Amino acid sequence: MIKTFNAARRQTYTGIAGQVKNVIKTFLIFLMTSSFHNAGPIAHAELNIRFVAYVHGVPLELNKKYNNPFGETFEISRFRFYVSRIAPVYTDSNVRFRERSVYHLIDFSDSASTRLSLPVASGLCNGVRFLLGVDSLDQVGGAQTGALDPARGMYWTWNSGFQSFKIEGYSPASNQPAHIIAYHIGGYRHPFSTVWKIRINTTDDIAFRLTDENNISVEVPIELDYFFDGQTPLHIREISSCTTTGELAWKISENFVGSFNGLTLSRNP
Amino acid sequence: MKSLGFISGIGLCCVIWANTPFPFLMPRGFPPPVYRFQNNPRTKQGFELGRKLFYEGKLSKDGNFPCSSCHQQFAAFATYEHRLSHGFNNQFSFRNAPGLFNLAWEKEMHWDGGIPHIEMQPLAPLLDPHEMAEDLEEVIGRLKKDKSYPELFTRAFGSPGINSQRLLKALAQFTASLVSANAKYDRMKRGELRFDEYEQKGYAIFQQKCGRCHQEPLFTDFSYRNTGLELDSTLPDFGRMRITGRKEDSLKFRVPSLRNVFLTFPYGHDGRFTTISEVLEHYNSGIIQSATLDSSLKAGIPISANDRFYLISFLATLTDSNFIKNPLYSDPRLHGGFALPVEDSH
Repeated sequence: MIKTFNAARRQTYTGIAGQVKNVIKTFLIFLMTSSFHNAGPIAHAELNIRFVAYVHGVPLELNKKYNNPFGETFEISRFRFYVSRIAPVYTDSNVRFRERSVYHLIDFSDSASTRLSLPVASGLCNGVRFLLGVDSLDQVGGAQTGALDPARGMYWTWNSGFQSFKIEGYSPASNQPAHIIAYHIGGYRHPFSTVWKIRINTTDDIAFRLTDENNISVEVPIELDYFFDGQTPLHIREISSCTTTGELAWKISENFVGSFNGLTLSRNP
Repeated sequence: MKSLGFISGIGLCCVIWANTPFPFLMPRGFPPPVYRFQNNPRTKQGFELGRKLFYEGKLSKDGNFPCSSCHQQFAAFATYEHRLSHGFNNQFSFRNAPGLFNLAWEKEMHWDGGIPHIEMQPLAPLLDPHEMAEDLEEVIGRLKKDKSYPELFTRAFGSPGINSQRLLKALAQFTASLVSANAKYDRMKRGELRFDEYEQKGYAIFQQKCGRCHQEPLFTDFSYRNTGLELDSTLPDFGRMRITGRKEDSLKFRVPSLRNVFLTFPYGHDGRFTTISEVLEHYNSGIIQSATLDSSLKAGIPISANDRFYLISFLATLTDSNFIKNPLYSDPRLHGGFALPVEDSH
């Protein structure tokens, strides 16, 4: 039984626009400006992390109909994104651990892929950080395997590069054939990079201690309400598809980043 | 006893054969290559596998379109005499197929530079519905079921298994090995022969009028430029802008190498020019003014009839007949076994 430390999860999505600011405050989002170091002290603890997508505070089910904040009905059939370099944020702000360049493809059609366990240094933490997308060096690193195998369906071949995330589905509001919606969001070149460094603090900055008992799980919620009602309002009837790099992709990626909400913690049984 | 010796001899050969290094020899006077077979050390087994795959119809949906269908050795691995190439289901490719040589020096591939790494390049034609029209999983599955490929992959990579990474790395072992550096021009540069009077005059004109973009010794500076071509409304192609999304890159295309230029006609990203004369006349009188036109072409490049004659004489010295006849690069079904590396002989 998972006990939630923090009961602050919103049950409704009213007043979203007003809350966006607060949510943004809890993030420190910065584009690829500085590089991660490869620091590798001895790991003593384990960071258990789980990505969960929500619509109106309810966990997303694929191929199920929902309404977005604009009253447009939609369903999602594919939802994948890349994360890497996951690390806890320690409250004394000394970096003790950073995952090396291992990429994880989070795919909501494969629940195992949404949970990760990483060996980390123990310490008092109040957040996690990670990279969304595939950084420019690994974009041009040649043929790869695992999460970066082009057969995983996240690689563009003629404007080469790994997409950062992919959200596909249907909506009657879409004017595409068969009412498809397709947000294939990628691009790693300035100024429209869709690769973001993301840092998410715990809701209300509650600190948690990672120890060798490995008894803490952190949940990274993705609130799809904010994906649609974000910095750039994403009305399906106007923007039902984005499958190339450029300004629109960058804006949609900004919305996606804005949908990562404050962390919640649970204690493992 | 004799037979025992014979058998152990075979065993020893097999050990050597399992991973035979195949060093990449740099042509004299060339700058350091971009692709140095990092994380993909060149071996005879890897190269031979890549070569077989390059000529393999099974990489395409209907079996008819191996890489070599659009990249023909006798045309310096361009498509001979075709503006656009043929692909699956009677379709045309989007652009003129470039010759494949000296790819190890290219930081980016394609007319618009959309592909940043040689190992990833084959995915574009492989998955393009107008070209090979295949699916990566399908191809991998087909190779796994094949009689010979599992063994060849094991030999090339030292352990069993076929995946996209190995497929792409093997192809890169072959494509990055396509070196053209033995044309008359190269032999002149090495002091082995001299240009005749026409070629020499043409070379001087070339250096003065063309050499800034078509820089020696690779005969390209790898930049993207708008050379004043009119937009073809039947095939709207904005070139580099398609990749960067930036207006200032509109109608810019990669400066192509002029090595083997006599073999790689038609010319231009859409193959609109049939002859070298037409291209030269375009620079002389056909430049279309536009916002992103290359600054050096605002007034065109004056090329007189005499200049043209000399220039064409020089450009013919860039044909590398050793390269197009090198059995090392040809279809292994025609030239089985392992050929001598002719390109390394100088």
